[in-house]
Amino acid sequence: MTRKKVKLAYITNDSARKATFKKRKKGLMKKVSELSTLCGIDACAIVYSPYDSQPEVWPSPVGIQRVLSQFMKMPEMEQSKKMVNQESFLRQRIVKANEQLKKQRKDNREKEMIHVMFQTLTAGQSLQSLNMMDLSDLGWLIDQNLKEIQKAFEKNNNVNDSTTQAPSAPVSGPVLTNPNLEFEQLFEDQKPGTLGFGMNMQSQQWPMDMLNNQAQTGTGTGTGTGTWLPAGEDMILPFGENQPNAFWSSGFFR
Amino acid sequence: MVRHTTGRRKQEMKKMTNEKNLQVTFSKRKNNIFKKASELSILCDVEIVIIVFSPANKAFAFGNPSVESVLNRYLSENPPPMSGTLQLAEAYRRSNVRNLNSELTQVVNELEAEKKRAEDLRKMRLASQAECWWEKPIEEQSVEELQRFKRALENLRENIAQEAQALEFQSSPQFGTKNDEFDAGFGI
Repeated sequence: MTRKKVKLAYITNDSARKATFKKRKKGLMKKVSELSTLCGIDACAIVYSPYDSQPEVWPSPVGIQRVLSQFMKMPEMEQSKKMVNQESFLRQRIVKANEQLKKQRKDNREKEMIHVMFQTLTAGQSLQSLNMMDLSDLGWLIDQNLKEIQKAFEKNNNVNDSTTQAPSAPVSGPVLTNPNLEFEQLFEDQKPGTLGFGMNMQSQQWPMDMLNNQAQTGTGTGTGTGTWLPAGEDMILPFGENQPNAFWSSGFFR
Repeated sequence: MVRHTTGRRKQEMKKMTNEKNLQVTFSKRKNNIFKKASELSILCDVEIVIIVFSPANKAFAFGNPSVESVLNRYLSENPPPMSGTLQLAEAYRRSNVRNLNSELTQVVNELEAEKKRAEDLRKMRLASQAECWWEKPIEEQSVEELQRFKRALENLRENIAQEAQALEFQSSPQFGTKNDEFDAGFGI
């Protein structure tokens, strides 16, 4: 296996093209054969070669005839429903790739914002390098966090059934005059928590569920980690186009 | 976000027993075969047709330049003559394919760049968590910790509002100086 990235264009070098043709044709036939065996289905492949008058076929001329007649017998609609040519196939691939790209960008943006948020909270990074869009997205993220905190308070209230832990109770402890500096000091006496947070690829629950909670009304119990809901498909993400709130105008994808 | 599946497995070359896996395998492999066929036809400029029937007996077909043209070529004895109009249409088609291909390559490259960025962000996150261990899930924080966190967040939100106002002010006509530096955050 060469593992070299091949540019997807016609190979002008004759010998290279011939070698590539042989290799890839062989591989293609093998794949078709494997598919047929593994899934117990009928298939056929015809590859015309510039080096041979006769095309290379799989499984065999007889086998091909059988599959072709099976294909031709079908009504026109059934034949063409899942039929693609080079152009339409490429178009489909472009659409899919664009969707993936959009999704990945959204996701990256969210991760980036989480990072910025914690940088400003702890490392004292200034807000000056941020533009309006960043500020608005950051604000959204903070609101989400606050909502989650509120939920956690309420849950705590229900569990404890005590009145001493109302969310509006004054905080005991030093007032944050300079949040950036004193924040780290405040937590020096805390014992280290677990790091199953945010960027854990397996259970990316926190950021996704934060967003999920905005979209869903109920609070179900997630799988395995208490109040976390599994990430849903259609959640309202801030880092996209569908922001109803006028101030938090987010035109990230223009 | 990408979820990593169970990874590549060595498959025994006989019909699969698990119905669900079979369907998934069919789907994935069929798509891959079409992709390979498409690549082969571009790289070597060859005519190809692939026809597969799904487990539910649906017909899937790929053809370059088209399924019909290659099947016609295969089934008929005499190759059809290439008329002038056909040649023109073919040249147009080729040019189209080239453009689509370039576009696809571009999008795929951008996707790869974003995936790499995702990986970098992930590493950054892990590194920052290792340093600031208080960045734990809200669920795991105590009420006291949460209240402090809440205060810090509210404080930050105020700062943001101030900063936003400042930005707006700078870009307003009265000042005029910062206009060209102003990021197109408003869609301007």
